[in-house]
Amino acid sequence: MNMIKLENITKIYPPDIKALYRVNLHIKPGEFVSLVGQSGTGKTTLVKILIGEERPSQGRIVVGGWDITDIGQAEVPVLRRQIGVVFQDFKLLHRKTLFENVCFALQVCGEPSSKINNIVPQVLKIVGLENKMRRYPLEVSGGEQQRTVIARALVHRPKILLADEPTGNLDSINADEIIEILQKINKFGTTVLLVTHNREVVNKLRKRVITIENGMIVGDQAVGKYIL
Amino acid sequence: MFLLSILRVIKFSLQDFWRNIWLSVVTILILVLALLSVNLLLVVKVLGSTAIDAVKEKVDISLYLRSEAPENRIFTLKDRISGLDSVKEVNYISKQTAIENFRDKHKNNQDMMLALSELGNNPLSPSLVIKPKEVDNYDELIVSLNTIDDQIIESRNFDDHKAMLAKINNITDKASRAGLIISLFFVLITVLVVYNTVRVAIYTHKREIGIMKLVGASTWFIRAPYLISGIVYALLGVSAVIIILYPLLSLIQPYLANFFSGFEINILTYYNNSFIKIFGLEILAVILINFLASLVAVGKYSKV
Ligand SMILES: Nc1ncnc2c1ncn2[C@@H]1O[C@H](COP(=O)(O)OP(=O)(O)OP(=O)(O)O)[C@@H](O)[C@H]1O
Ligand SMILES: [Mg+2]
Repeated sequence: MNMIKLENITKIYPPDIKALYRVNLHIKPGEFVSLVGQSGTGKTTLVKILIGEERPSQGRIVVGGWDITDIGQAEVPVLRRQIGVVFQDFKLLHRKTLFENVCFALQVCGEPSSKINNIVPQVLKIVGLENKMRRYPLEVSGGEQQRTVIARALVHRPKILLADEPTGNLDSINADEIIEILQKINKFGTTVLLVTHNREVVNKLRKRVITIENGMIVGDQAVGKYIL
Repeated sequence: MFLLSILRVIKFSLQDFWRNIWLSVVTILILVLALLSVNLLLVVKVLGSTAIDAVKEKVDISLYLRSEAPENRIFTLKDRISGLDSVKEVNYISKQTAIENFRDKHKNNQDMMLALSELGNNPLSPSLVIKPKEVDNYDELIVSLNTIDDQIIESRNFDDHKAMLAKINNITDKASRAGLIISLFFVLITVLVVYNTVRVAIYTHKREIGIMKLVGASTWFIRAPYLISGIVYALLGVSAVIIILYPLLSLIQPYLANFFSGFEINILTYYNNSFIKIFGLEILAVILINFLASLVAVGKYSKV
């Protein structure tokens, strides 16, 4: 059984930009996979296909046993509650406290307050923000903002966590902290796909590394190094 | 859970209304201006059609009869004309009534009264005043009247009326066509302005919508707050318009009554009688435009 299965995925943006070309990729439950590659090689496109934001032009994609190749608009929210996503830009609401930002994700999904009050402190504790959760995003550091985003991505207890350059805007100390948190989440059993440019991060992780070039997978090492 | 979501959506929209109070105020202000211009147009239209109806009501045809015609023959003729399809009513003006009307009309004119008394006897003819059922069937009526031949008819000259009617019809046509074009123009501008306002309002929520989509909020949860704030805007906007419009109408009513003296016209009564229809429609229209605009805008700004 695979958690993520891509078969011959090709994505062409109009008019004829080949963002991904015949990508085959299998990721098992509980794996921690780093996806590396130069700018514009299709990494974010892959993430977007995984969360139903873009549809593949060709190929088949199965997530957690669910074939989402032709997923309908109405099913996308269901998929997104199973996949946590973290992007480089923090995407927090500045007028809400960190606590409220995390609550928001559950509120808009119609979850009852009792569940929200139970889960939110838990996920904030995982990312180590239980003491700062009453602050507003602009009152905390970039690393702390990104940790809030990770906490928010965890509220649905997702099977998969996608992190697209989560350390892109952070200095190396903050970046290390984020990676540690991702490792911790992975230890709980969540499958993690980390997209990164950061050579040090990848080399230190000593986990599976997939290298992508011009939309094609050119390397897949069990204990990989950043080879570009 | 559904009820919980509804309550939460309402709470979110009201919170949002207060947090972006200036944007809300501006949105409502634009709405009020747009609605005021629509209502202004409505007033002009009501006045116009009242005036035209009043003029049409005054259009009648007089059939002048011989002075010596016996009354029983006149009544027979009156009945015959009343029987015509295109006739609404026929009034008989006797010689005596005619002279009284004349005296009444010229009672301030000394020369005229002097001339009348010098004549000694009553110089006026009796007449039948015929009102057509529909002003537009005027031609038909004239044709029918021409087929009636009775020796007591002294003269039938309809040409004046025909020319006047043609003129009125012409004006009515042009006025309603112009009114239609102006109305469409106004409605179009209103729709665009409201649409754009809603778009701006939603643009400020780009980030929020993006996050909602990312964390798996259902589509209706994303759209519902805009529907609710649309309803709030519509209710507040139309209430404001009512509050502004009524004093304004009472202010101009005396001038209108003066200007259209002789005609029954009361713009306040008109608004009172059609209150639900006018303002209900305006509320519905605003909600609809809001809804469509948010449908488009939410789709547009919700890419992650
Ligand atoms: N919506 C789009 N429409 C058209 N072309 C796009 C679109 N999104 C991405 N592309 C193109 O597809 C290619 C892959 O883009 P993608 O964002 O997946 O790259 P990436 O590997 O994430 O790059 P980076 O490391 O800079 O984030 C690029 O050439 C990009 O210009
Ligand atoms: Mg990218």
